[in-house]
Amino acid sequence: MIEVEGLRKEYDELVAVDDVSFTAQPGKIFGLLGPNGAGKSTTIGCISGLLPPTAGRVRVQGHDVAREPRAAKSHMGIVPQEVALYEDLPAAENLRFWAEAYGLRGDRLSERIRSVLETVGLLDRGDDRVETFSGGMKRRLNFGCGIVHEPEVLLLDEPTVGVDPQSRVRLLDLVRAQAAAGVCVLYTTHYMEEAESLCDRLAILDHGRIIASGTLEELRGSMGERDLVRLSGTFDPETVRRAGGSLEGVEVVAAGGDQVTLAMPGASRRLSELLATVAATGAEVRETTVTRPSLESLFIRLTGKELRE
Amino acid sequence: MRFVLATARKDLLRIRGDWPALLLWMGIPLMVGGLLVLMFGGDAAPHAKLLVVDRDQSLAGRLLTGAFQQGPLAEIVEVESVELDEGRDRIEDGDASGLLIIPEGFGRALLDGEPATLELVTNPSEVVLPGILEETLDITLEGAEVLRRIFDEPIDRIAADLDREGFPADSAVATVATAFNRAGEGAGEWLLPPAVELETVSLAEAEEFDFGRAFFPGMLILAVLFMATGLSTDVWAERRLGTLRRAVTAPRGAGVIVAGKWLAGGSALALVSAVGLAAGRWLFGIEVADPLLAFLWLTLVGVGLLALFTVVQLLARSERAASVLVNAVTLPLAMLGGSFFPFETMPGWMVAVGSSTPNGWALLRLRAIMDGVAEPGLLAVSAAVAVGIVVALGWIVARRLRGWA
Repeated sequence: MIEVEGLRKEYDELVAVDDVSFTAQPGKIFGLLGPNGAGKSTTIGCISGLLPPTAGRVRVQGHDVAREPRAAKSHMGIVPQEVALYEDLPAAENLRFWAEAYGLRGDRLSERIRSVLETVGLLDRGDDRVETFSGGMKRRLNFGCGIVHEPEVLLLDEPTVGVDPQSRVRLLDLVRAQAAAGVCVLYTTHYMEEAESLCDRLAILDHGRIIASGTLEELRGSMGERDLVRLSGTFDPETVRRAGGSLEGVEVVAAGGDQVTLAMPGASRRLSELLATVAATGAEVRETTVTRPSLESLFIRLTGKELRE
Repeated sequence: MRFVLATARKDLLRIRGDWPALLLWMGIPLMVGGLLVLMFGGDAAPHAKLLVVDRDQSLAGRLLTGAFQQGPLAEIVEVESVELDEGRDRIEDGDASGLLIIPEGFGRALLDGEPATLELVTNPSEVVLPGILEETLDITLEGAEVLRRIFDEPIDRIAADLDREGFPADSAVATVATAFNRAGEGAGEWLLPPAVELETVSLAEAEEFDFGRAFFPGMLILAVLFMATGLSTDVWAERRLGTLRRAVTAPRGAGVIVAGKWLAGGSALALVSAVGLAAGRWLFGIEVADPLLAFLWLTLVGVGLLALFTVVQLLARSERAASVLVNAVTLPLAMLGGSFFPFETMPGWMVAVGSSTPNGWALLRLRAIMDGVAEPGLLAVSAAVAVGIVVALGWIVARRLRGWA
């Protein structure tokens, strides 16, 4: 189990993580969703003991990471965002080293190396140097190095960045298998589809703060049944904001430049009404986009911007 | 301890994988030793060739060049008479260590006590041998000046007789002999007993200057210095790979990782030290009084330098800056610390500075071990100091690695 309470991390003037609290349970996948620079990796850094928090407390399997780092770390497995492997060594030697780093030895060591090579689909490539591997194979081995010692808590920092679709599916299956085996998984990503398909609970981060958290159903519920409507064209955003806001059940999420974003129930049925109201202000609408309720639309509703911006 | 060994094993495998670098490190002492052999024709002692253009053809000129062909100097300096154009061409081609031009009227000017100018052109690509030529010339000319002052009167008479272009009469010879005698008796009150006692050491009796022996310990230190520099860059490689960051998140602390890396580095340094010492013995005939002690000392020095350069690496803000910084430290250390040039060829102030550098300090002790004159007590203290420095630097590196990774 991971327990994070009031976590804060400052770099000089910059506050990278601010008052972050959550609990990740065994056998479940907890997702930290947010755009690049939201503070996901810093949060993982503080949990893993790599970065000392400015304030707050992190406990892993009941051990305080700051006070009992060795005990806390011994329960953790980490799969970093960038592939962290010795490219000039064979795959099996990489696994051996990271397994020994967590105290494995003897028969169990050999058995785990073989088992993990099989799990990540590299059993026939164990003696090959990593530098000869494709990007997807390196990603899988990178994952294997994080689970070789059978950790009870697994920290995954955007493990699918830059991975081809086939390898991504395989990696996500591996993550699910870990959770199914009882491992507490903390998974960071900025891919909302991944978060939706993988995570049992989620926390959405922006500018170092959690802006929403809960199960997928809870988060979707907080959106209601409202669709997101984005209008692009030539208009005065403030005039359109006032006009859109006058319609029943319509909430203006963001307005600026040549774009206005609104949240409204049954948007596809009420689109003509909306466009007529907007056109009455003298606006010229060139493009209209309707998005069904999702994590993406929730993020846009909460921050006024897209997840990938 | 197991993770220290696991880290060392992993790094040794990586060092073995980079075998061209390992060969290069091992090859440095052999390569430089081989170059020295080529430079000095396979002899232990250096040879200087002095080209002489004698436009005066006087007795003074012949005595001057003869000074280079007396005693032990004759074994080092070879004098060859040449024409001016040939001499200038050959010195430009680097075919000799120096070109001495004796101008017309040099002998006459010497007899008359008048100013005379000799021209010595030295080979700019050599340092030691032209220095020997210049020093010898200076001493000879100063000697001639002293003789000219002591035997002022008889020399004037000889000069006057020579002016008359004939041999002096018997009476004049007797007068000159009497004058020499008087001048000698006059100088006797200073010379006998001498006011300053000059202790002369015969070069023939002293131990012959062994160029290889003077250079080779420096080459061994240079090899471990370069290797330590190369091994220290691995912290940047591991940072680039992301493995250092991952390793720091493992339960064992950063100190264990540092210990493992230096254990692997020490093993590779031990191999290079052993090969270097063996090459000195079997290829260049350099005997070592206590080979085991020399091997242990060289390895310890290598680990110390590895620790030092790891700290230097961590001071830089980027890998490129680290490379520049390490080179900026390594090259002056190698130059001053007696590795490129033996301390015997350096001015006194430079020896004082050089012997205070870590590699210079280590070199003096290595030479003492190789020559069998190392004091056990002093060596034990030196080894304890070196181990203490490695531990202290290890603590600094481990603390820095956590945030730096």
